[in-house]
Amino acid sequence: MTPLEILSATISGQASPRVPVFCNLLDQGAKLLNIPPKQYFANGEYVADAQLKMLQHYGHDNVWSAHYVGKEAQLLGCKDILFADNGVPNVADFVIKSWDDIATFEIPEDITQQPTWQAMDDCLKILSSEVGATHPICAYVTGSTTLPAILMGMDKWMELVLIGPVELRDELVRKCSLFVQQQLKAYRAAGANVIIYANPFGSTYFIPKKRIVDWSMPWMQEDLKQGTGSIVYYGGMAPINSVIEMVIDKLKVNIFYPAPEDDIRESMRLINGKGLTSGVLDDIKMIHWTEQQTRDEVKRIMTLGKTGGHFLFGTGFMPLKLPEENIIAMLDAAFKYGRY
Amino acid sequence: MFETYIKDYNEAVFEIDKELALEIIETALKDGVTPEQVVFDIIIPSIEEMMAEISINADTNLAQHFMTAQIAAEITEKMLAKFESPPEIIGRVIIGTSYGDLHSLGKRIVMGCLKSMMVDVVDLGVNVKAETFVDAAVAQDAQIIAISSMMVHTATGEEGSLKVRSLLKERGLEDKIKLVVGGAPYRFDHELYNKVGADSWAADGVTAAKIIRELILEGKS
Repeated sequence: MTPLEILSATISGQASPRVPVFCNLLDQGAKLLNIPPKQYFANGEYVADAQLKMLQHYGHDNVWSAHYVGKEAQLLGCKDILFADNGVPNVADFVIKSWDDIATFEIPEDITQQPTWQAMDDCLKILSSEVGATHPICAYVTGSTTLPAILMGMDKWMELVLIGPVELRDELVRKCSLFVQQQLKAYRAAGANVIIYANPFGSTYFIPKKRIVDWSMPWMQEDLKQGTGSIVYYGGMAPINSVIEMVIDKLKVNIFYPAPEDDIRESMRLINGKGLTSGVLDDIKMIHWTEQQTRDEVKRIMTLGKTGGHFLFGTGFMPLKLPEENIIAMLDAAFKYGRY
Repeated sequence: MFETYIKDYNEAVFEIDKELALEIIETALKDGVTPEQVVFDIIIPSIEEMMAEISINADTNLAQHFMTAQIAAEITEKMLAKFESPPEIIGRVIIGTSYGDLHSLGKRIVMGCLKSMMVDVVDLGVNVKAETFVDAAVAQDAQIIAISSMMVHTATGEEGSLKVRSLLKERGLEDKIKLVVGGAPYRFDHELYNKVGADSWAADGVTAAKIIRELILEGKS
């Protein structure tokens, strides 16, 4: 079976030879091609080339579009990204500098006409033609109740959410939701077949459950009203076990990518065969593990997860500081212990 | 009497109801509670209760931590203006985000709590160089350097806490100035603070304030 067939079989609960193995290698591409990150991410061909080379080198199951979270801010007018040779790019220019800017903040009519989208589109077209029939191709979309954090800063957004004028808050989220819907459509059209829907404001680590029910959930439903096919619910590394049942019930999403601190058995109990959950390895701890510690942790995750099926093995967003030998040990162990 | 105010105030903060929290303080003032008593007998014990709650209840959330800090800082600032004499400051902290890091939420939570607990806070902002942290700590006679990092590379990079530690060592300041770190990466690897040369760490902003205050008091004793 191809990795894409293995993933489909796992979601639907059919027999498959092994657990799908997702390894989220994003920033490693620039290093591999020896190109500064700013130039690397601006060129979809570079990103696709690196993704395909890493796929061949490591043999994991998934590839990624030209993604870093700041790209969404750039599509919405952000003019400055702080790139780093040793890590993830940062948004350095907030599109919304004061609450007054919310009234004039506009979503582009068609994001696919934005120069920033071009790299994404080029990358996805290449990946789609090369491995689209055989491999999961991932894209990342931030939910509308979290997206303002990268447009105005997390603390300013938190302030508006918690103590600001409700109308202003919801005006911003409404605009962001339109953007989310455009992105989802554009990603699907460009060939992405796994869409990570990231929404920390859909995790009780960020806000109380009641606020998720009353405020965040209706916006998530709006974000995903075109359909939940290929959507993976992700809390942005914040725990999500406490919302899994609600998400299945209200949002009709049944694929989950929990945080490493979410209890795997509990995730599986909550999903109860109605979809797929993931055992996510703590790749920050892995920076300082030995190869054996890495293998032991993969074994632990696989042992817990694969008994019930409907289970995927995954990583966080693999820090650049990870030793190569640990990445290899992790994947080797994932294929060994993930076999049914 | 104060127990009731503390209980009502903390319930309001937990429910993220700023208006109600402010109303409770207003009522206390009308009941004859002095501004000094508001800070020392209501706000500080309330933060301490929140700190205790966080340590036993994993279900508290970032919104509650943020509100704890923001409301406490706002009330304290108002009350300080009404104090009969300036309060005694227990110590001074230099705070900022590590070099290359532009995320300021965690820092803001820590600052709000510290200010309410009579700790003087000097905020260097975001994307702060290691030398700037150490120079400011020396110039301001601070006991603590607190560095917030949201990303793995800014937490573990050579220009962040590691360099601050090496500068403190080089300048013979390790006994005088303690280094505290916090932020997302430390939440995933609880031993990471050690690897970046810090003296201590905290999983959230409110707890960070608690640890910083304890380190200052330890240093004094």
